[in-house]
Amino acid sequence: MAKNTVWRLLRRNISAGQIAGYALANLVGLAIVLTAVQFYRDVTSVWDDEDSFISKDYMILSKRVSGIGSFMGAGDATRFSSDEIADISSQPWARKVGSFSSAAFNVYAKVDFGGASMGTALFLESIPDDFFDVSPEGWDYEPGRSDYVPVILSKDYLSLYNFGFATSRGMPQVSEEVIGMVPLQFSLSGNGRQEWINARIVGFSSRLNTIAVPEEFMQWANHTFSDTPAENPSRLIVMLDRPGDPQAESYLEEHGYETAGDRADNGKAAYFLSLVTSIVIAVGLIISLLAFFILLLSLYLLLQKNREKIHQLMQLGYSPSQVARYYHYIVLSVNGLVLVVALAVMLIASHSWQSSLEALGVEASPAWPTILIGVAIMSLISIGNLVAITRTVRKDF
Amino acid sequence: MTETISLRRLLPRVFRGSEHEAPVKDSQLWLHEGVDFRRGEYYVIEAESGTGKSSLCAFIYGSRHDYDGEILFDGVDSRGFGIDRWCELRRRSLAYLPQEMRLFPELTVMENITIKNRLTGFRSEADIRSMLSRLEVDNKADTPAGLLSVGQQQRVAIVRALCQPFDFLLIDEPVSHLDARNNLAVATLIDEEASRLGAAIIATSVGNKISLPKFNLLTL
Repeated sequence: MAKNTVWRLLRRNISAGQIAGYALANLVGLAIVLTAVQFYRDVTSVWDDEDSFISKDYMILSKRVSGIGSFMGAGDATRFSSDEIADISSQPWARKVGSFSSAAFNVYAKVDFGGASMGTALFLESIPDDFFDVSPEGWDYEPGRSDYVPVILSKDYLSLYNFGFATSRGMPQVSEEVIGMVPLQFSLSGNGRQEWINARIVGFSSRLNTIAVPEEFMQWANHTFSDTPAENPSRLIVMLDRPGDPQAESYLEEHGYETAGDRADNGKAAYFLSLVTSIVIAVGLIISLLAFFILLLSLYLLLQKNREKIHQLMQLGYSPSQVARYYHYIVLSVNGLVLVVALAVMLIASHSWQSSLEALGVEASPAWPTILIGVAIMSLISIGNLVAITRTVRKDF
Repeated sequence: MTETISLRRLLPRVFRGSEHEAPVKDSQLWLHEGVDFRRGEYYVIEAESGTGKSSLCAFIYGSRHDYDGEILFDGVDSRGFGIDRWCELRRRSLAYLPQEMRLFPELTVMENITIKNRLTGFRSEADIRSMLSRLEVDNKADTPAGLLSVGQQQRVAIVRALCQPFDFLLIDEPVSHLDARNNLAVATLIDEEASRLGAAIIATSVGNKISLPKFNLLTL
């Protein structure tokens, strides 16, 4: 009974209209923020999923081949010196830089189709393993122990064969799965040695514009079949801090570097998406911030109107925190309710675009990081409110 | 437990500059080097209006700080006390009846008293009802305090002040609106409670003095 007595004293002058106004405003702001965050995460997962083992945050750099350089052979003009690599590594947008190592020996590949054999001269390259998000199955290689060398091929090569070569020559088209089952043989030669080894294509990449083998294999083979020291790389793979960073683009322009494939366009789309999302999130945050100030003003007004009662309670020996507790309770219940409704709005909204995403063959991102963001924003707002209440009540002591 | 409250050269700020004029000149309290209030003693402070007796109570109770000089609780300057210390004193050591009573008009008599008692848990409901009955306001227990006469409010506020353990009971004009019979009833009740606790009573008065059996008289 006594507890309700204090509550009855302190709830005087609480304006339901002001609190409802705050709740509505903060609900709108928070729902915009959370929905935008979830939308961004769902949509960027499209980029993430498109290439399972090379993520969107990578860029492959090469130098522009000039007229003279090409006539002088694959000379130093198109290679990256260690100074240049260090300069790229030191750029703010570059998180990590890896070199393509190319084979310094001759490669000849042979395929056996039931007795008939086809062969071609080939080149191989490798990049450090940590530039792969997920290694394809069988990507490990140990010299002397593994049965075959795993190979990753550019998707473009398969397309060239299927839609160019095979159709015009009346040869069968092959799928990725079929290619994976074809036994390949590599003849490696150089440095006065020659050796046949088995190889198998384990994956295709739309980004990695090369024929890639594991770095362990490349080191072993270069060591075995070549006596010249390793040359500077002509291509670099760069892990980016942010896709489509304009700084990175102007740097490439300035130094005459080129990026491979459709990377840059995708990066630009991702960059614009993140820009638009940032603007929407900023608008939502501003609405939430304004709502926070509405509640703060409403609370100050309430505490001002009840100032005499609050002062008298503390004259009786009530501590400021005992008095403030009742107002904390109001703030926490209103904020808790707003948070729950805003999360519900976000989940319903994300459910509504889920079917379109599934049509693109994309799994939606889990909602819990967005929920955590919502809880974090609401906690900050609540802490701000609670601190303001406690400080005001203490002033009335 | 607080044994002694001492005033050292205490002066309300409002009297700054008039130290050599009445009422400060003739006061037995203001600007005196050592005025000690001890547990177990009763004090009646007699004053004319406007001499600062309510200010004195508020200074001691820690609700106002617009004074020069020092108020020492067992030798410690109370200016340095934090909010927590004051809350503790107001629950365990200092009981206070302000002149304006400060009851919550929208709450009933019983609610006004329990709002204090729930902080201290010092009295049972039966105790409270028996005190109300001794002061002849038990029939008003469920009436909103705002509807009571000033004299009735005074008695309710006295019961509320007694709902806590105390070393010092500060009562600002407790009987200004009471007749002689009620004055005696109040005096007997607070004398009983104070002697049971070994506490001091500091009462102010502008004329109608509380009928305590014995007391030190000070003129403000």
